[in-house]
Amino acid sequence: MNILVCVKQIVNPDKIEYDSTTKTIKRSLQHLMNNPADLNALEFALKLKDIYPDSQIYTLSMGSLECREKIKELVELGVDDAILLSDKRLAGSDASSTAYALSFAIKTLGRFDLILCGEHSLDGETSIVPPQIAQYLGICHIASVVDINPKDEGTLEVVKKIENVMAKFEVKLPVLLSVKKDSNLVRFPKLSFMIRAHSYEPKVLTLDDLKDIDVKKVGLEGSKTAVDGFEEEMMESTSCKIYEQASASEIECLADIILKLI
Amino acid sequence: MDYFLTDNQKIIKRLAKKISDEVISKVASKYDWEGIFPKDILDLLAYTELTGVYIPKEYGGFGGGVLEMCLVVEELSRNCAGIAVSYAATALGAYPIMLYGTENQKKKYLTRIAKGEAIAAFALTEADAGSDVSNIKTVAEKQGDFYILNGNKHWITNGAEADIYVVFAVTDKSKGPRGISAFIVEKGYEGFYFGKKEDKMGIRASSTTELIFENCKVPKENLLGREGTGFIVAMKTFDRTRPGVAAMAVGIAQGAYEHALKYARERIQFGQPLTSFQAIQHMLADMYINIEAARSLLYSTCRMIDNGAKNYTKESSACKVFASDVAMKVTVDAVQIMGGNGYVKDYPVEKMMRDAKVTQIFEGANQIQRNIIASEIVKDL
Ligand SMILES: Cc1cc2nc3c(=O)[nH]c(=O)nc-3n(C[C@H](O)[C@H](O)[C@H](O)COP(=O)(O)OP(=O)(O)OC[C@H]3O[C@@H](n4cnc5c(N)ncnc54)[C@H](O)[C@@H]3O)c2cc1C
Repeated sequence: MNILVCVKQIVNPDKIEYDSTTKTIKRSLQHLMNNPADLNALEFALKLKDIYPDSQIYTLSMGSLECREKIKELVELGVDDAILLSDKRLAGSDASSTAYALSFAIKTLGRFDLILCGEHSLDGETSIVPPQIAQYLGICHIASVVDINPKDEGTLEVVKKIENVMAKFEVKLPVLLSVKKDSNLVRFPKLSFMIRAHSYEPKVLTLDDLKDIDVKKVGLEGSKTAVDGFEEEMMESTSCKIYEQASASEIECLADIILKLI
Repeated sequence: MDYFLTDNQKIIKRLAKKISDEVISKVASKYDWEGIFPKDILDLLAYTELTGVYIPKEYGGFGGGVLEMCLVVEELSRNCAGIAVSYAATALGAYPIMLYGTENQKKKYLTRIAKGEAIAAFALTEADAGSDVSNIKTVAEKQGDFYILNGNKHWITNGAEADIYVVFAVTDKSKGPRGISAFIVEKGYEGFYFGKKEDKMGIRASSTTELIFENCKVPKENLLGREGTGFIVAMKTFDRTRPGVAAMAVGIAQGAYEHALKYARERIQFGQPLTSFQAIQHMLADMYINIEAARSLLYSTCRMIDNGAKNYTKESSACKVFASDVAMKVTVDAVQIMGGNGYVKDYPVEKMMRDAKVTQIFEGANQIQRNIIASEIVKDL
């Protein structure tokens, strides 16, 4: 099975700083991390490789050359080959342009039985990149995936979660699945993978390597959406009330609130 | 301090630290309090391939040496020495096989240990033979294709949890220490049972058990080395593994120091953080000096062993004594810096103080180590 996992290198949300002039997130290397839901997607790929050891797992990322250090962490987990699409002309791409560029990179890389993405990135939260990639590639897409199991050669059993409802699907490959954050526990690296990752250099593609791509459709210029401004919302401290000797009606009221929450 | 570790050694340390900080720190208190054997963590160390760091490549290991083993022990001990010693005791059981095993024995046992499929133990101590190991009473009598073992072993780390045991027994009483032989005993051999499990002050996540041999049949091909070389097998093994105890001590001390430093920065008394009081600053400075000195001696000794030095008995003993005394002093001071909070179980330093104590006792108490060092110094004159 040939599996491709899309992994975005994001700025740790706890460390995010905005550049108000360029209206973009400041990206400093020490605060970069691999998007958590993408790692959950990768874990499913690794689980499939445990079952089918001949499988090949590739990752595809789009970002600056600085992302290479974080991409090495994917190789530490057991990825066979990691590809970084990096080109100054891609800077400022919105979700739609990103999906467009990634889909051309995927076509350039070859045919994949399974493409996995995280459902959304912590810094963008649009969730539209995975379905759009599927659209560009002309393959089926299932979102909100929480479990993946092989059924037989060429078929997967996929569990999707919407609110409190679980839906089970049987899908024929090729397919693109976007995985919910925390849908599994991401494994630890192995020593031999870490040693390989230490000297591993991700393969870098530029727009010039992507056949037939229309460069006018990517980057700040090619994007259909533009960030107009940032506004930081100050969190209000939650008011807390202490009942020293609560009355029966107050206890009932509190029980009601708790029951609604659970 | 920069210890100029190789890239691979840095990677091993980073991986062990990740496991220690992300997994062990979260379970250390529970496993300690409830005395839970950390099989799940040993399985994780196996998955991540850390179980084989000190085992030669030809037996499925990583091909590192004592330093690689110590880097893992040190990092695991930063959060729980009890869990770390469960890992280190397997090395104590593996080293005699590495040093004296036949090709068949190495292939059969080291490959399983390297992959983490088997846990090992080292069984020398008995009720009447602690510091005086030559006084062991367990006997092994040759009968046809078997040795028949009879006797009891006390204080055996990984006791009932291990799969492979290196056991020392007397094959010729008339020859004193030269009449002791070493055997590889597998769990499940006829006549091999487990006795009392010790309820310990510290390293409570590790299992320390009594082993009982009642006409235990050990195949003769499981004799390790030659008959009568058991005492040498034990002493040469200790020379290689005592740095492991030092690594445990350095890890405990480092963990306690980190907790005390963080606490001292945050705790305000008299309107200032504790770190602004010189009495506390000097304690922190002494902790730092002692830990770095212990680590320097430990790593130098490991490098000496791994680079093929002929005799490293006194260096190995010296790093064990120094690091364990440092661990005791640092953990006591860490409890002091943290005041009442150091003395209760809400913070990990009281556990570290309990854990530190055993590093001065096992694998040869520190008094015995000083005897060894002194006799080596005098011999060298
Ligand atoms: C938690 C734990 C785990 C252990 N794991 C193992 C294991 O896996 N395998 C194994 O074989 N053993 C193991 N041991 C045994 C350990 O190695 C012994 O406890 C240790 O060697 C000391 O022996 P002892 O307890 O009998 O003390 P003793 O020998 O009775 O000594 C008591 C005290 O007297 C001092 N003393 C004794 N003789 C002299 C002397 N000649 N000069 C000066 N002082 C002296 C000692 O230093 C010590 O302080 C373990 C012990 C513990 C506590």
